[in-house]
Amino acid sequence: MSTKPKSGGFAALVRRIFQSRYAGALISLVLVSVFLSIYQPVFLTWPNMMNIVKSNSVGFILALGATYVVISGTVDLSFGSATTASAMAFGLLLVAGTPLTLAILGAIVAGLLLGFINGFLVAYAKISFFVVTLGTLSVFQSMALVVNSGTSVSVFSVPGFSALNQFVNGNIGPLPVLLVFNIVLFLIAGGVLRFTAFGRSLYAIGSNIEAARLNGINVKRVLLLVFIISGLTAGLASVVQVGRLTVASPNVDMNLLLTVLAAVLIGGTAMTGGEGGVLGTLIGMLFLGVVQNGLTLSGVSSFWQGALSGSILILSVWLGGIRGVLRAQKQTQLE
Amino acid sequence: MKQIPKETAAVLVEVKGISKGFPGVKALSGVDLTIRAGEVHALTGENGSGKSTLSKVIAGMHRPDEGTIRIDGEICELETPADAIARGIVMISQELTLAPTLTVAENIFMGRLPKSSWGKIDWSRLRADAVQVLDRLGVHVDPNALVSDLSIELQQEIEIARALSTDARLLILDEATSSLSEAATKRLLELVVQERDKGMAVLMITHRMPEIYAVSSVATVLRDGCLISTVPIPQTSEEELVRLMVGRELGDYYSKQDIAPGELVLDVKALAAENGTFAPTDLVLRRGEILGLAGLAGSGKSEFAQALGGAITARGQVQVAGKPMALGDPRATIRAGVGYVPDDRKGCAILPVRNIAENFAMAWMDRLTRNGLISLRRQKSEVASAIQDYGVVTASADTLISTLSGGNQQKIVLGRIVRRQPDILVLNEPTRGVDVGAKTEIYKMLQRAAKEGAGIIVISSELPEILGISDRIAVFFEGRIVAEFDGPTADEEAIAHAAVAGVKRHPQPTVTKETEV
Repeated sequence: MSTKPKSGGFAALVRRIFQSRYAGALISLVLVSVFLSIYQPVFLTWPNMMNIVKSNSVGFILALGATYVVISGTVDLSFGSATTASAMAFGLLLVAGTPLTLAILGAIVAGLLLGFINGFLVAYAKISFFVVTLGTLSVFQSMALVVNSGTSVSVFSVPGFSALNQFVNGNIGPLPVLLVFNIVLFLIAGGVLRFTAFGRSLYAIGSNIEAARLNGINVKRVLLLVFIISGLTAGLASVVQVGRLTVASPNVDMNLLLTVLAAVLIGGTAMTGGEGGVLGTLIGMLFLGVVQNGLTLSGVSSFWQGALSGSILILSVWLGGIRGVLRAQKQTQLE
Repeated sequence: MKQIPKETAAVLVEVKGISKGFPGVKALSGVDLTIRAGEVHALTGENGSGKSTLSKVIAGMHRPDEGTIRIDGEICELETPADAIARGIVMISQELTLAPTLTVAENIFMGRLPKSSWGKIDWSRLRADAVQVLDRLGVHVDPNALVSDLSIELQQEIEIARALSTDARLLILDEATSSLSEAATKRLLELVVQERDKGMAVLMITHRMPEIYAVSSVATVLRDGCLISTVPIPQTSEEELVRLMVGRELGDYYSKQDIAPGELVLDVKALAAENGTFAPTDLVLRRGEILGLAGLAGSGKSEFAQALGGAITARGQVQVAGKPMALGDPRATIRAGVGYVPDDRKGCAILPVRNIAENFAMAWMDRLTRNGLISLRRQKSEVASAIQDYGVVTASADTLISTLSGGNQQKIVLGRIVRRQPDILVLNEPTRGVDVGAKTEIYKMLQRAAKEGAGIIVISSELPEILGISDRIAVFFEGRIVAEFDGPTADEEAIAHAAVAGVKRHPQPTVTKETEV
């Protein structure tokens, strides 16, 4: 039996953080940040910090959805393609003269619809999530290419678009809009996980799907919903992406797929489901963002970024595994 | 019967002072066992008595915490099953260990395929060898058939064929007959006798009396992980053996109270599993009544419980408190007022990576939620009082459930259902893998629920438990209820015979006479 940590107090807080699943990512984040602050004076400046936030906000939005999916014990491999397809829908709607708000709505609906397809096939047709989302990864990508014969849609000159561009690049007080937007999404995502029956069901299903089913949790509906949420984040991410880049590209950014899943896993959300949360994902995303920023500041070729984030992913999951083994051994000894 | 006299036969395996603990349970403490060549040694005891653990220690699957194993007088450290097999110890367990996508011959000689030059597999020799082993067993099956195409029973025989083909000196049968039909059981026992006479030692783990008396010459009884006695067979009577197995006064242990049965609360008509594991079955249950369902593994009793709990699809009519209940849907079952506790705690009941509070709250989601939001404050108070009421030993409600002992886990699993005060409780092996202390706690929970007006169905493989808690006992055999007994007056032997032979009053234990050569 473990001794109960005293509630409150700084020591208790530190102990809680060190015992948490994202302790490794947090410590790494602090170490890398300290290192960069010393050797790259530009690193610790406000514009650079906000640059990190902005350039990772599309990934972060997607990572929130991916966190939900991974907690439920499944994986969505198709969110990158869904984002691309939604972006193309958004671009084409704008070019066709649709008012900005309606076009944004259209992009979000497109994302929801693609998520619904995934969720329906996984939850109701009972096809393996891996097969479904590997298939739709390809299907959604193909759709994005087909709709405009494989060419990008430039929305820069579309009247009304500049409002969105200015908005996503703008500030609310001293804070960039994207930072505020991400914080709001983060708080909603965390709140839903913690305080709603849906959120708790997600952990239950990820931990033991049969136990969840036998105790009256509507497993099919929850799984459908989780993929719809993944689609929703793809829709939102596509709007932010097009808003920033002023162009909708039909090609999926494979690096985005890796970064997002890496952020979720580095943040301590277990691939096996039932564990983790969006705070870990936030830390994981910041860590990857800071490393990437450090490479850029140090003048390392961006071609190296993939190798580094991939290695970090493998290393962190390996270390997490060791931690799990150690914890299990400690428990057996106690008994 | 030309059995080698016990005193002169060479000691093959000698086990001394073996102890083995698992998280939260002491499975074996200081057990001795001597197995001689040419002897069939029965190892018996109630479920949870440690007989399977002991056999796994001898077969190299578990390493003992204390004690020694001597083989041919020499101390051995068996670290893996391969070590045991190398010394001629082969175990056949209830669970099959065949590769279903390979052929019969490949399975029999798995890891030992005959090779010709250049390391090429000698298929014709493989087939010939397989035919030879199968003939010895009297099994007629094509050695080229895929194992997945065979019946479970034939698969079990393939498993036995594999053991025989290894020139085993000690064959351990861990309830190997539990999934076999009568004819196949007879064949297996004949084979045991045949191999015994050739000098093989057999350790037979079973609690079926007819089998023990048919082939064994000595029986060792375990209870709660301790050696109770090693006695000669057939000099020791069946009654004496049962007394050694059960060993305690059953009266107060089960906290049995007299509760007058109330109105009819469950009416089951022609309920049958879609997967055919049990035939259309009728059953009624009154409020305050505890009905025990007995039967062997595979008799359909467990699937009957699963069907009532909505865990598997089924057809038929089930009325709960006068209202029809939809089948095959756990949500409908819960709404109808049925609380189901599955037998596989790890696989179907707990969320291993979550804490006690969440494991409890999972079954209370509907009552703790308003407008989709969970009241964490209500959750906290419900969990705290459940922990107190059911005597769960834990530091706090935030403790990971998988760090608790089996008994404390089960108190949570059972408590979250009982506390909802359902009209009917269906409990599938509620005390499996649970220590004695937690058992008494669980029996008290059942009595309290019965007193509060629930109708309770308990499925159990432990006859003493069924006898101790039930007002009425029904026995499943090959997918049917074949006998019913009044709880307080039922006698263990009659129930056991109904479970083994499918009839209420046994004429003759059919296996016995014919297998003795």
